Amino acid sequence: MNVASMSQSDVPGMAHSPLQRPVQLPIEFTGSGSEYFRIWIVNIFLLIITLGIYYPWAKVRRMRYFYGNTLVDGTPLGFHGNPRTMFKGSMLVGVLFGLYSAASNASPMAGLIALVIVAGIWPALLKSSMQFRMANTSWRGLRLSFTGTLGGAYAAAMPLFIPAILIIGLASFAPEDAAPKENMWLLWTMAGIMLLCIAITPWLLWNLKRYQHNNYALGSLQTTFKATALDFYKLSGKAIGVAVLSVLASGAVFWLIAFGLATSGGGNDSASLGIASVFGMGFGFFVGMAVVFVVLKPYTIAKIQNLVWTKTGNSSMRFISKLSVRALLWQTIKNWCLVVITLGLYWPFAAVAMARLRLESVFIKSNIDPLALFGAARVNEGDAAGDAAGDFFGIDMGL
Amino acid sequence: MDVPDTPLSALYFDGTSARGHAVQLHLRQGVLRVLGDGIDRSAPIARMQWPERTRHGMRIAHFPDGGTVQCSDVQAWDQWSLAGGHSESWIVTAQQSWRWVGASVLALLMVLVSIQLWGLPAASRYVVAATPLTVDSALGETTLAAIDQTWMGPSKLSEEEQNRLRAAIARNLAPLPAGTLPEWKLLFRQSHIGPNAFALPGGTMILTDEMVELVQGDDKVLTAVIGHELGHVQHRHGMRMVVQSAVLGSLGAVLFGDFSTVLATMPILLGQAQYSRDAEREADAYAVHVLKAASISPAVMVSMFERLQQYQQDQADKKKGASDTPGTAATRQEKTDANEEEDSPLGMAFSSHPADAERIRFFKDAAQ
Repeated sequence: MNVASMSQSDVPGMAHSPLQRPVQLPIEFTGSGSEYFRIWIVNIFLLIITLGIYYPWAKVRRMRYFYGNTLVDGTPLGFHGNPRTMFKGSMLVGVLFGLYSAASNASPMAGLIALVIVAGIWPALLKSSMQFRMANTSWRGLRLSFTGTLGGAYAAAMPLFIPAILIIGLASFAPEDAAPKENMWLLWTMAGIMLLCIAITPWLLWNLKRYQHNNYALGSLQTTFKATALDFYKLSGKAIGVAVLSVLASGAVFWLIAFGLATSGGGNDSASLGIASVFGMGFGFFVGMAVVFVVLKPYTIAKIQNLVWTKTGNSSMRFISKLSVRALLWQTIKNWCLVVITLGLYWPFAAVAMARLRLESVFIKSNIDPLALFGAARVNEGDAAGDAAGDFFGIDMGL
Repeated sequence: MDVPDTPLSALYFDGTSARGHAVQLHLRQGVLRVLGDGIDRSAPIARMQWPERTRHGMRIAHFPDGGTVQCSDVQAWDQWSLAGGHSESWIVTAQQSWRWVGASVLALLMVLVSIQLWGLPAASRYVVAATPLTVDSALGETTLAAIDQTWMGPSKLSEEEQNRLRAAIARNLAPLPAGTLPEWKLLFRQSHIGPNAFALPGGTMILTDEMVELVQGDDKVLTAVIGHELGHVQHRHGMRMVVQSAVLGSLGAVLFGDFSTVLATMPILLGQAQYSRDAEREADAYAVHVLKAASISPAVMVSMFERLQQYQQDQADKKKGASDTPGTAATRQEKTDANEEEDSPLGMAFSSHPADAERIRFFKDAAQ
């Protein structure tokens, strides 16, 4: 669901005719839930009876359906991924993933080593995943590309490595069986590192998004990313505020309900009040967690999408994303309820509705005639293993 | 030069410019020819990326070396494409027909149920049989270290008592034919979990002090308990659980993983509960086998269950006595509700052990 953006760059001999007035290129999603349902169910059936070998073919069918129904200015995106190439990548990554799980099951030490190795190659996989995804996407016959370098990927993932190195260093430096009292400093240092991890998360996210959004290209045109780390910190602050508020609100509601039950029950003594407040707090906690998941996730998704895409582009062409938190929240609640009621069968309808909502809230503002765009004849296709790794290790950072 | 009779109007993009060109497409014997103003190129469609029939979306075909044709009149495209020698894959037919989709849903359900009922238990037995016993031992040691740190303390039983029980149990097991018993080792621990016994992969079994107290050190009853745990060791249930949860976990990930990780773990919980009940039944059968060889009546297990139930009742009463609040009537009601739930079919779906009543009946029948 990546929509590459473009901005003018000064390549010699490449003149884009400026327009009198900027035009808006709308993004439209024409997929249908009932049709995707049929694709999905056949995919799952084939996946299970082939013991997963069908996976790349299933993915290509899914991607081609979603891409083909994403119309940018009336023209659909094309997905060119070749399932046979992707199959080889999946096999390689599947073996890697199998070794990784086996190592984590075998012993904590082997698991740690496997984790370090995966973390070490993660940026490289991110880079080839992005490269593969972009190179296999086209619009009006022009292939997109991803221009990020390997060094850039490692630089972007830097904030991930700092606490990891600190923790490993501390773990190897710490005495094995010291008394808990002597170990107080160790606990405090660990707590400090945890805090540091939380504190640098927005910075890490900004770094990764900057790496991606600075490097999308359509032919000679490349995007730039104008959001700052401060924007990401502000957004995180707001998200934390939303989480705290929703927990407090749901806690209060449940305490009130419990209080009401206790008093209406006639037993107005302190014991039943105590039971009621324990009941209220217990339920409040679980509902609070649920509310955080239901409210916080759509809130962050909407805010990040709007921030990241609206800050992508430059004076000639840019993305504008106006995804409404309320609409996304409503869609999320609706999807959750229907998926649970239908025991999962509503899921493809939910996926289509989500894609429609998120894609159609984006449009492109252009100062140049999009028809005057030219692309490079051939782009580096990257590595299908990176794409498969994206699916296995969750490094797909698209949209 | 012969050109088929029914050309199709489409847009052609050359792959270097975003500008589209109006062209006529000709398809004959699987070869596409694009003709337009200054454009004339052709390629066999087997080498192109050819679109599949869908109800929504346009048709885009990609040349292998760049260049794209695009058509928004999908019905015209589909007819033209079939007439020109493109054969549709059966998967596309299936995806576009509700009848086929209904059949897929049914087949999927049947496949999932068979995997749960037969496929997975058989597969895990096979995988575990191929796994060397050293893996069991290594897993058992790691688990023992972990539980010693969290819920177990050193046993308060005297060394003599521990050795007496080990010797008595070994004596009771002696009549079993040589080579049919798995390797075993018995450890005693004090625990926070009350009277209990469990087996770790690799043959290490743990008896809690509270269990020894509950049966007042009766070695016949303890042989029955150990016989049940030996059943778990003999059938390598611990290892089979590991294999089964891995497979159930990946199935869950395929079905629901991209929607919700919470939903994805449901198959593990529900599926494992059933396997765990089956494993308990197998272990009970093994316990009966051990007791018969040792000429001990399986009825000892019945008395163990009765003492265990008495113990649970006492614990509940103790709790009731400690909290002297008006809510006691409600607590007692809850307690009986919980007991009833244990035996109800709903309780069975979520519980890891067969209901006590069923197990008591099993041992009573075996005693006759």
